[in-house]
Amino acid sequence: MKYLRSNWLFMIVAYTILIIGAFAVIYPFFFMVNNSLKTGREIMHSPTALPTEVSFKGYTGVFDELNVLLLLKNSMILAVSITLLNTVLSALAAYAFAKIPFPGRNQIFGFMLMTMMIPGVLFLIPTYVLIYRIGWVGHYQALIIPSAISVFNIFLIRQFMVGIPDELVEAARIDGAGEITIFLRIILPLARPALATVAILTFMGSWNDFFGPLLYLNRPDKWTLQLGLLQFRGTVPGENSEQIWALTTLITVPIVLIYFFIQEQFVKAFANVSLSK
Amino acid sequence: MATNALARLPDRPAPIPLWKRIARHGWGYIFVSPWVLLYLVFGIYPLVLSFFLTFFNYSFVTPDERTFVGIGNWIRGLEDPLYWKAIYNIAINQSVFIILKNGLGLLIAALLFRIKYGGRIFRTIYFLPVITSTVVLMTIGDNLASPGGPIQKVLIDAHLLDGPLFWKADQTLPMIIIALINTWKWFGISMIILLAGMYSIDKRLYEVAAVDGANEWQMFWKITLPLLRPQLFFLLVVDIINGLQMFGEVFTIGFSVYGGVNNQALTPVLYLYAQAFDRSNVGYASTLGLMLAFLIAALTVFQFKFFPAEDE
Repeated sequence: MKYLRSNWLFMIVAYTILIIGAFAVIYPFFFMVNNSLKTGREIMHSPTALPTEVSFKGYTGVFDELNVLLLLKNSMILAVSITLLNTVLSALAAYAFAKIPFPGRNQIFGFMLMTMMIPGVLFLIPTYVLIYRIGWVGHYQALIIPSAISVFNIFLIRQFMVGIPDELVEAARIDGAGEITIFLRIILPLARPALATVAILTFMGSWNDFFGPLLYLNRPDKWTLQLGLLQFRGTVPGENSEQIWALTTLITVPIVLIYFFIQEQFVKAFANVSLSK
Repeated sequence: MATNALARLPDRPAPIPLWKRIARHGWGYIFVSPWVLLYLVFGIYPLVLSFFLTFFNYSFVTPDERTFVGIGNWIRGLEDPLYWKAIYNIAINQSVFIILKNGLGLLIAALLFRIKYGGRIFRTIYFLPVITSTVVLMTIGDNLASPGGPIQKVLIDAHLLDGPLFWKADQTLPMIIIALINTWKWFGISMIILLAGMYSIDKRLYEVAAVDGANEWQMFWKITLPLLRPQLFFLLVVDIINGLQMFGEVFTIGFSVYGGVNNQALTPVLYLYAQAFDRSNVGYASTLGLMLAFLIAALTVFQFKFFPAEDE
C-alpha cells in the first residue's frame, strides 16, 4: 500500500511537470500563429492577446510584398534534389561498403570515418573559394552538389545494411542475379528504414538551412523561404509586422505537417543516429 | 587419428591474387565511384586548401594578388583580442546550453519513462522545436524576449524585473539568452536519445530494486543514470563539436556579423565569417577555422581520455 501511495504522488508530480513543459514548448508556436491573424497595430499594443477580429492581411500582404510561391518553389527544388542525390549516392556507396569485399574497402571506409570527426567549420571558407572559382555562386548546384557527400549518411546506411544476412545476397548471386538487381530488388527494400532516416534528416536540414542559401544564392529570384524570411524581416515596417508572422507560419507548416504524418520515423531517425554510434 | 584429421582441417585456402579479387569485386568500385569522385573534389580538396590558405593573404576581390605570409596569420589569430572574446563568449554560451539542454532532456525522459499514458503526445510536442528552422525560432524568441515582449512583461508584473531590459546591449546576457532559446529548441534530441537508452535497460534490475525496497529516486540515481553513460557521452561529444561552431542563431536573432557594437554576441565562426565575407581576409579566416578545429579536437580527445563512454 505504501509503495502504491508514493507512486500516486510521483505520477501527479510527473504529469504536472510534463503538462507545464508542454505548454512552454507550444506557447511560442501559438504566439506565432496568433499574431499572424492580427493587424500590425494590434501586435504592437497587445502581442499576447487573441485577435479582436481575425485578419488575413498578413497572409495577403506576404503574397503582395514577396513572391512567396517562387520562394517555396526554390526551397522545394533545393530540398528535393539534395535529398534525392544524397540518399541515392549514399545508398550505392553504403551497399559496396557493407556487402562487396573489394580490395581497399576497409582502407577507404576507415579514412572516411576519420574525416567524419572533422568539424564543419574547416570546410566553410575553402569550399566557398572552390565554388567561387568554378563560377557556381548564384546557382543551385553550389548547394546541391557539395551536400551530396555526407559521410555520416553512408555510415548510417552501411551500419543498417551490415545487418542484412549475407545469405540473401549470396543466394541471389548463385541464382544469377547481377549486382544492380541485388541492390535494387533485395538491398534497397530491406534498407528502407535507414534510407527513410537519411532522407528525413537531409530534407529537414536542407529545408531549414538559411546559411547555405545566404552564402551562395545572392540573387532574390533564387532565394529560399528561410533566406526570404531573413532578408524580409529587416525591411518590414512595424505596422506590417503581421506579414512576418504570416511568413514564419507559412514556412513552419509544411515541415510540421510532414512531421505529424510520419512522426514515428522522425523520432526514430534521431534515435537511430545515436544508436549507430 | 580422428583428432589428427580435425587438426589439419582448417588449412588456409590458397590466397586469391589481388587482380583476381579486384576483377571479381569490380562492382564495388562502380558503386562507390560517384561518391568518391565528389568526395575528392568537395571533401578532400577543400581540406587541403584550408591548410594552404592559412599561409597566404588572399582576397576574393583580388584573387591574383596572393601574398605569402608564412605563419603570420597564426600569430595574428593568437594575438587577436576579438577572437579570444569570441571564444570566451561561446564558452559561456555552451556551458549554459549543454547543462540545461541535457539536464532538461534527462528530466523529461525520466518522467516519460515512468508514466503510463500520454507519453507519445508529450514526446510529439517536445520534439516540435527540433524540426523547426533556426530563422523561425529566433524570430519568435527575439519577439518573446524583447523589452515589451510577453516574457519581460510577466517578469515585471511579478516584480522579478525592475523595468524593460535591453538585453541585447548587455555584455553577457545575449549569450545566455541565446543559450536559453537554443535549449528550448534542442532538448528534444537529448530527450529522445536518453529515452531510447532507458528502454534498453534490463527491466529486471528495477524489479529487483523494488523488491529490495528502493524508491523512485534511488532507482534513478543508482540504476538509470549510471547505465545511461554511453548516451550521455555521445550527447556531450556531439554538443561540444556542434556547439563551439554556433553562429547562425546570433546572426538570425539580429546581431551584426561582429556580434553587436561591443562584440557581446560574437562567436568564433561568426568572426571567421566576418573576416572572410566582410573584410575579404580569406587566408586569415581560414586560419581562424583551423584554430577552432584544433580546439574542438583537443576537447574531444580530452573527453575520450578522461570521461570515456564505458569504464575500463
